[in-house]
Order: sequence, then C-alpha cells, then structure tokens
Amino acid sequence: MYARSMKTLSAALLFVASVTTHAADLYVICNPGVSIAAADVRDVFLGDKQFSGTVKLLPLDNAGAQQMFLQTVLKMDAAKYSTAWTKKSFRDGLNPPAVAGSDAEALAYVKRTPGACSYISLAAPTGVVVIAKY
Amino acid sequence: MQSKQLSDSHGIRRWAAVLLLGGCCHPFVARAALDDTDRVAVLEQKLDQSLRLIGELSARVRDLETQVAAQNSQAVTAGGPALGGAAPESQTATEQRLVAVEQTVTQIAAGAGQRAEDTGLPLHGFADVGVGNHNANFPEHKGAAVGSLDFFLTPRLGTRTRALFELNFETAEDGAIGVDLERAQIGYQFSDSATVWLGRFHTPYGYYNTAFHHGQQIATSLRRPRFLQFEDQGGILPAHTVGAWLTGSERIGDARLTYDFYVGNSQRITGRSLDMNNPGNAHGSAIVGGNVGVLLGGALDGLKLGVHAFTTRIEDQDLIPAYVTRVRSYGAYAVYDTDRWEHIAEFYVFDDENLSGPAGSHRSEAGFIQLGYRAGRSVPYARFERAALQQSDNFFAAQHSGTSYHRYALGIRFDLDLKSALKLELAQTQDSDRDFISYDEALLQYAIRF
Repeated sequence: MYARSMKTLSAALLFVASVTTHAADLYVICNPGVSIAAADVRDVFLGDKQFSGTVKLLPLDNAGAQQMFLQTVLKMDAAKYSTAWTKKSFRDGLNPPAVAGSDAEALAYVKRTPGACSYISLAAPTGVVVIAKY
Repeated sequence: MQSKQLSDSHGIRRWAAVLLLGGCCHPFVARAALDDTDRVAVLEQKLDQSLRLIGELSARVRDLETQVAAQNSQAVTAGGPALGGAAPESQTATEQRLVAVEQTVTQIAAGAGQRAEDTGLPLHGFADVGVGNHNANFPEHKGAAVGSLDFFLTPRLGTRTRALFELNFETAEDGAIGVDLERAQIGYQFSDSATVWLGRFHTPYGYYNTAFHHGQQIATSLRRPRFLQFEDQGGILPAHTVGAWLTGSERIGDARLTYDFYVGNSQRITGRSLDMNNPGNAHGSAIVGGNVGVLLGGALDGLKLGVHAFTTRIEDQDLIPAYVTRVRSYGAYAVYDTDRWEHIAEFYVFDDENLSGPAGSHRSEAGFIQLGYRAGRSVPYARFERAALQQSDNFFAAQHSGTSYHRYALGIRFDLDLKSALKLELAQTQDSDRDFISYDEALLQYAIRF
C-alpha cells in the first residue's frame, strides 16, 4: 500500500514538474525569411531594429504569452513597455507591435507574413524559424 | 466493451464540442486584442464561416456516432469475438476525426489573424490642465488654466515610407486658443541607420526638445525648462524647423550610436518671438545643425551622452530695416534613465554675431540639470536652470523672453494610472536683467495620454 502511494505521488510530482517546465518555455519565432540573432530580439520589439537585411520586420505581440516575454526577454513590466512605445511613437512616428490573442494566431501570422516575428509558449512547429528559446 | 464504445462516442462529442467552441470563440478573443474596431465586418464574415463549419462538423460527428452505434449493434448481434475487432476501427476513425477537427480549428485561428498595418490610422495624444498661483507658462496670469491638447498621427504606410503629423491646441498669452501644425513630416527609411524626413519637425538639439516636447504626460517635470519652451511660450531657441532631417542609429556592441543632421529654413523674429518660416523665407538662408549621441550599455545601461550644434541666420523683422544675427549654438547633454533614476542635464553656448545694427560678437550660456528618483508611482524631482543671455546680442534683445534668469524647482509626479499623472511643483524664478522680476510659484498639473 505504502509503495503504491509513493508511486502515485512520484508520478504526480513528475507530471507537475513536466507541466511546470513546459509552461516556462518561450519560443521567439520568425518567418523563415528573417535572419536575426537572439541578441536582436529586444531591439526588434522595442522598435530599434526594423530591418533584417532588406526585409522589413513586423513584430507581433502575443497576449497569451506577453507577460512572460516582457519579464523574461525585455526585463520590464507591461506599464514600462507601454510607456516605452508611447515615447517611441511620439519621437519617431513608429507604431507599437500589433497584438495576437493566442499562440495559434501568432503562429499563423508569422508563418504567412514575410518579416513577421512573435513569441509562443508552445514548441515551435515547422514553417517558422526559432530565434531563441527561453 | 459496449459501454467503452459509448464512452468513446461521448468522448468524441465532448472533444468536438470543446474544439468547436474554442474555434468559434477564438476569433473574437483575438480580435479584441487586436484593437481594430473597424474590422467588425470581417469578424461577422468569419463568424458566418465558423457557424457553417460548426454545422458541417456537427453533421460529421452525428455520422460518426451513427456509424459507431451501427458497429456496436452488429457486434452485439455477432457475439463477443466481433467486439474485439470493432474497437480498433472505431478508435482509428476517432483519431482521424480528431485530426480533421484540429486542422479545422487551426485554420479558423489562422484566418483570425488579419493584420492592421495596411489600413490603420493610429491616433495618439496628450492633454493637460493645471492650476496655480501663476500660470506655468505666462506668470502674469493666475488661477486655473488649460494647458494643451495635442494629437499626433502615425499612419501605417508602405514598408519604408513613414509619416508623422501632430496638431496642437493651446492657450496663448491673450487667452486665444491657437492651433499649430506642430509636426508635418514624411520620411523614407533606407535602413535602421538612416531615415530622411522632409517637412516640419522638432529641431533635434539637446535631448528634451525631441524626447518630450508637447508630451507632458511622458515628461517627469511639470513643464519644460523656460529657455527651452516653445517659441511662443517663452523659449529662445528654434524648437521647430522646416526642412530635411537625416536621422538614425547603429548598435555598436552594447552601446547604440544615434545621430541627427538637419537643414531647413532659417527662422525669423516677428512679434518679438521666433517663427519657423513654414512657407520658406525671402532670402533663402538656412539653419544647419547636428546631434550625435551614444546610449551606453552594460554597467552604464541607461546613460546617454551627446553633443549638438547648429548655426543659422536670424532676421529681426520687427525692425525696419531688419537686424540680422548669425546665431551659432553648440553644447552637450547627459541623460541617465533607469528604473530608479531619471537625470537630465543640458548645456548650451551661443557665439552670436550681429551682422547688422550694433556690431559685435556675443557669448551667452544656458543650461539646466534635473534629478529625478522613481519611487514606485511617485517621482520626486529637483531642477535648476539658468540662462545668462547677453542683451547686446540682437538675437536675445529682440525676443520678448530673451531675459537672463535662474530658477529653482522642486516637484513630484504621481502616476494615478498608466496614462494619467498628477504633478505638483514649487518654483522660485529670478530674472537677472531687464526687469529683475522675481516670483514664487505653486503649480498643479493633471496630464494624460491617450
């Protein structure tokens, strides 16, 4: 009985651990025509890098994973991100990234849009390039 | 076994219902986040498509259930051994159906991702109102005051063409509401490191003029330094230029190099204030200037250092014949902007030469230093500003606000929420020539952005 309980408990802990690990993953993805380095991601999403060669970059925020992205990659909260873009728009006439509602929408947009980059919390499937995994 | 198959059947129905519901609802959630109300029509079209798909998929599920029920019936009729063969077939069919449903949901999600960059016309703005024992810009007035209402538009154009338009409504000294086309610039972006703008733009000297300008809500302090005010509100510098502006930045390791070079119509003085000569000027003289800065990284992340200079030929058209002054300005600035601190310092030197009227060369100086501490939603700040302007310099003597002065200010900004802020400032100002006026101020401002 004791051994069975321990087995069940171990299985539950493993399951929780695997779920937790999966939830912490974040993949920055781009359309296959985009060639940028992981170090460029911050500049792309803050409007400081707008081209990859001759390709115009189109960053897309993903509401479903934005909080994790801001904390993990840009090291800022949503308020600071919003203010940074207000200042950028006012000074340089740039518009902040559009916002997708989910991983599926972000993924679909990146797949079909040249220059698009976004981030998802699922393992990236085919049809996009993974720029960085966090 | 039969109960297992029935359970499978219910399971299929639940899976399909959940997936269909997700697929049906997904476009709405995504659209809400996209912030494009003008695509309701597209949404309705998607809804219709989704409903049709739901109908088709529901029919498929019913067919599947019918087939499963028929197989079960046959299995029961044929006896026990047949049940073992029906189950794997049913499972395979179920998997195929689920794959089909999954693909359909993916397609619905993909269809929801219509982007807005080709049709959007983002409109942003700032507004502020205030009250005080003096008006923040016109100290001869007291009480409540309308500050400004500022709209700026950043239309989404092509890949490389950009545009920025800014309209500002503000109260003039005589109480009239003036409307200024603050910026009207259209640009072509060659790369990250080179964009050329044509039109009217904020003259890129120092840091404050381009960083905040009419964006009072994004500025920590309640108002601009006096000598950097707008031309018609007490400023002594040409805050706007009509011409061409080359700007860009380039990352160098952890640092980022920024630059601006510009050439435009030289400004004039009329009505004792600077005017930027929107339509051009009669003599064709120009203002030429530049600004080079470096935004440091690593341990010095948040620190920007820069130098700037311009030269122009200013006519005082209030006089006949007009006095002409060669204005040469140069200086430096430093900004330290982090999560905890916001410090700004700018320094300007003017080596001007009177080209007509009383001859001579004159050196004047102006500058300010502002220290701010970000303590959560509050940002207390202190600022000292000073201008020592030679009154024998035609350029300053001709301007209503060309007075030497110094000002001490203590203030606090409190963010009520992400887009609105209350600011309180106590200041003491002393004009150090002309009328030698001195006054103390207690000012309150409510500033928003949208």
